[in-house]
Amino acid sequence: MSVRSAPSVWRDPVALLAAPAVLYLLVVYAFPLFWLLMKSFTGPAGPTVQPYVAFMADPFNWRVIGNTLRVAAWVTLVCFLIGYPAAFALARAGAFVQIVMLVSIILPLSIGAVVKAFAWQIVLRRDGVVSQLLLGLGIWDEPQRLLFTETGLVLGAANIFLPFMILPIYSVVKLIDPRLSEAGATLGATPLYRFAHVTLPLTLPGVVSGIAFVFSMSVSMFVIPSLLIGDRFQTLSTLTGRSFLLMRNEQLGSTTAVILLVLAVSIVVGSTWLARRMGGSTT
Amino acid sequence: MTKPRITARTAAGFNRRALLAAAGAATAALAAPRILRAQGKELVIGGAASHKNFVETIIGPAVEKKFNCKIVFEGSRSLVNLEKMQKNKDKQYLSVVMMDDPVMIPAVAEGLLDPITTAKVPNMAALKPGTVHMDGMWVNYLQPWLGIAYNPKAMKTAPTSWADAYDPKYKGRVILPSLQNTEGLANLFMAAFLATGKPMPEAQKDIDAAFKKLVTIKPNLLTAYTQMPQAYNLLEQGEGFMISSAISQVAMERKVGGAPVDIAVPKEGIFAMPSGVALVKGGPQPELAAGYINEMIGPEVQAKLSTATYSLPTNKDTPVPPGAPTGVTIHGIDWKFVADNRADWVKRWDRDMSM
Repeated sequence: MSVRSAPSVWRDPVALLAAPAVLYLLVVYAFPLFWLLMKSFTGPAGPTVQPYVAFMADPFNWRVIGNTLRVAAWVTLVCFLIGYPAAFALARAGAFVQIVMLVSIILPLSIGAVVKAFAWQIVLRRDGVVSQLLLGLGIWDEPQRLLFTETGLVLGAANIFLPFMILPIYSVVKLIDPRLSEAGATLGATPLYRFAHVTLPLTLPGVVSGIAFVFSMSVSMFVIPSLLIGDRFQTLSTLTGRSFLLMRNEQLGSTTAVILLVLAVSIVVGSTWLARRMGGSTT
Repeated sequence: MTKPRITARTAAGFNRRALLAAAGAATAALAAPRILRAQGKELVIGGAASHKNFVETIIGPAVEKKFNCKIVFEGSRSLVNLEKMQKNKDKQYLSVVMMDDPVMIPAVAEGLLDPITTAKVPNMAALKPGTVHMDGMWVNYLQPWLGIAYNPKAMKTAPTSWADAYDPKYKGRVILPSLQNTEGLANLFMAAFLATGKPMPEAQKDIDAAFKKLVTIKPNLLTAYTQMPQAYNLLEQGEGFMISSAISQVAMERKVGGAPVDIAVPKEGIFAMPSGVALVKGGPQPELAAGYINEMIGPEVQAKLSTATYSLPTNKDTPVPPGAPTGVTIHGIDWKFVADNRADWVKRWDRDMSM
């Protein structure tokens, strides 16, 4: 591969346009990452896997890993359930409505996660909107605590990450020829069959990238859980942050960071692979 | 004299320092050589960002006037100051550091501090007992105190005891600081005190009893915070009723600002959260540095400082400012013991206090 691709750069000098990006990523991303990786495998007496063994031997840490993955999975699911239909609505809307919708999806991105987390604190408190609504509908008999619960965290995080689910799916839906579904209908396919065999496979690339975005952001979020659920619910990233910032234990911090990275990458890569197998090529 | 003489810098400022100094010197040398000679003495103080205000308005002007020098304050965090001293061990540029006591201990262990003596700092003789640590490696210039902050709109009667936070009627309404936060340690020691009934110096060593008591507060917990502004936000909105173990200065500033916040002095006593100041070993201008600390703990600056920060003065000749608690037990914290065991406690806190 390398033998064949190396000269092609020279045959096609356009590839050189990637040089600044490659250089930038090498310096600010790849090298620090490599350093982090090395740090986690370096003990006082040379190379070691002891930090990993010690980490895995503690049942509490398995709970932390569980917390991290569970919350990320819920956030991704909620984003998908809300984002998938929303992407269709966006793609099929008239020009004016589409602009309004796009602005309302993109504009909140300019507000920091901290501000949004504080806003959620107001929404989720006992006399907040959600509580009032559930009480008014008779679902709750008395106000209950939503703040600093996993439900509250998932709701808040899903809100913050939703645009990253909608936009990739939207960009794919936009390109689907609506006549394909109509053609299926002419051939006698039921709406459900058309969705499962025509629309869904065609949107799969968008779904996969949306899931990859949202999952990898929610598995590594740090500010949102520290504000919406607090110190009593540790995730791999809050543990990493604390190891570096408070405990000054760089080895523990780099170990948890590497575990988080490996988990996130394998789940994203794995689900992409699965989606490709299920729905054909996604690229 | 209208020109501001104090310059503040950010945490990253020390990197720009050489550049700034060079540029400043060049400009000054070209434009006003006399000023350069007059203000040649410059003293760099490292402290927390929250110190900036009182260093620049109270301590700085007093020192500058007396010694005709220029005070440069770098406000970051205690741990950042420690790092600055570690990184510049061979050529320190900070002369004085103002840090939390727990951070002083590693600084002493790494030989980064010079002891303070009455020969260098005469006002040291007037300090209250318990405010000079490790044979003068650092002294306390203020004692902010820890009590219980509460929302007077939500709680008709003010808390009177540290045990109130455990009362079932406050289910889901109590905010605790995380054990990561320095102010969080008070709950641990008070839990041991409440559980064992031993005197505080003894009780605070019984961490096992402390945790056994502390876990019983869990049904009452709204949250354990790491970000203090959030805790006050929850308190002021009425979602939380009390912050058990709150720093006097922060609560009082909110109260004076008009927020529905007050701070109660529990009958078991309050904790002193001493703020430390130390001389940097090998720092520039050592005499001037000692002079800075001497002014800082002198009666004049102490009176202004304790009033402005709602804290207790450490100079025994300075009267306690109005509004500050008097006649109440002030518990000290054994910071060496804390430094040695904190990591284990945080580990246990994670496990025992998790949801």
